[in-house]
Amino acid sequence: MEFSFSSSALKIANSTAFSSLESGDVIMLGVACVLIYLAIWKKFEPLLLLPMGFGCLLANIPMSMMASTDTGGLLNFFYQGIKHEVLPPLIFMGVGALTDFGPLLANPSTFLLGAAAQIGVYTTLVGAVFLGFNMQEASAIGIIGGADGPTSIFLASKLAPHLLAPIAVAAYSYMSLVPLIQPPIMKLLTTEKERKIKMEQLKPISQTVKIVFPVTVTIVCCLMLPGVTPLLGMLMLGNLFRESGVTARLHETAETHLINIVTILLALAVGSSMTAQSFLQWQTIKIIVLGLLAFTFATAGGVIFGKIMCKFTGGKVNPLIGSAGVSAVPMAARVSQKVGSEADSSNFLLMHAMGPNVAGVIGSAVAAGVFLSLFGDVSTGLDSHAALAPVIGNPEPGIRAIATVVDVIKQ
Amino acid sequence: MEVSVSAAVNVSILALSVIFTVLIVLIFTIKILVKLVPYKAPTVPPARAVSAGNSTGQDDQVAAITATLAAHMQKRPDEFRIVNIQTH
Repeated sequence: MEFSFSSSALKIANSTAFSSLESGDVIMLGVACVLIYLAIWKKFEPLLLLPMGFGCLLANIPMSMMASTDTGGLLNFFYQGIKHEVLPPLIFMGVGALTDFGPLLANPSTFLLGAAAQIGVYTTLVGAVFLGFNMQEASAIGIIGGADGPTSIFLASKLAPHLLAPIAVAAYSYMSLVPLIQPPIMKLLTTEKERKIKMEQLKPISQTVKIVFPVTVTIVCCLMLPGVTPLLGMLMLGNLFRESGVTARLHETAETHLINIVTILLALAVGSSMTAQSFLQWQTIKIIVLGLLAFTFATAGGVIFGKIMCKFTGGKVNPLIGSAGVSAVPMAARVSQKVGSEADSSNFLLMHAMGPNVAGVIGSAVAAGVFLSLFGDVSTGLDSHAALAPVIGNPEPGIRAIATVVDVIKQ
Repeated sequence: MEVSVSAAVNVSILALSVIFTVLIVLIFTIKILVKLVPYKAPTVPPARAVSAGNSTGQDDQVAAITATLAAHMQKRPDEFRIVNIQTH
């Protein structure tokens, strides 16, 4: 083989990623740096925006094979966790393990506030259709108003996978901006007198009810909307780990290590889908605007319904807790507490707001289930699992091997 | 697929109705559950009085707790008195 210095130097120069760098890649590297900056210095959802920004950084280095579409690349494997509905439900399991449904069970009528806040989802759906998105895309965009990252990712991956990146970025960015977006709307829609309303102390709930609740929700909701079973089922399983009192190790794992590991994988996978081809489009700007609209209307819907409940109960409900119905646990509940205590420093709304807050999680999952029932294709999910068979192999030999091991242990 | 805004409005109304229905079903389910299984406060074992002449091993416990509390509160041990110890 002939070797010359100039040809070898040229070969090395051509093999660097600089030679393939395009303007779109440079812009996306800038976007990645902005996300990392917002996460570290502005503390905007750092647990998500940091790995997401870094995933975007990796995906936009040409020839690195780190984009979600690069078959065989590292982040392509992580992305399979989104594509095949593995990671968002696991996050929900962790959320369930972290969540105390006690305030909701003590005041179940706050479920209505969680439902009312979903108005933001549907006003955004109409807005998205008006801007030219089809119904599947509009549904995936609308769910940003549910203020629930895993639900947004879950629905986008099923109904509009090509919009996953901008939807995830919009959902998590606005969730981190909840303390800035919500207070002006809450103050605009309520009077000083309403903000000062003190609510009665919540009654304690029997442990048996706390145990039966996740099982009941799973049966009722998943029978009505089977499409949402992966999300809601895992949420309730995580909560059952917490409340049962007999699975302390599983509960601890779900609420700490598992959710942390899955968050890293999920955020990196979402970041890896932020390539120039998928992100640098007019659609992205439309989605960012619609996301803000979704959060605004969701907050307004919750507060207005809170006012209605205030009237019906003779002033026993502080309308400010309605804004917590947008999910975003527990930040939205903290915002209700903060705005309430600004009106009256002796007003403690946090626990009351946790009711609609966790109702919002269930409400947004139900909203996603309704979209899946209307626009999802159940057979698509089955096909994707069938497509995985060559990768994961036939499970039967594995099951037989486990049975053999069990027999040996018994002997 | 061409989609009209009116179709989106119809979908929104239908979907919101389903959400409210599901959550109202859950409200009634919870209310029934709470009625069926009311909260019972956990029973606390009766507190044992610490008498001055108690010569059991509890004296050592009282002394240890008194010394710890005194150090924590930066007070002299004779400035406060432990009246009872509850065991769970």
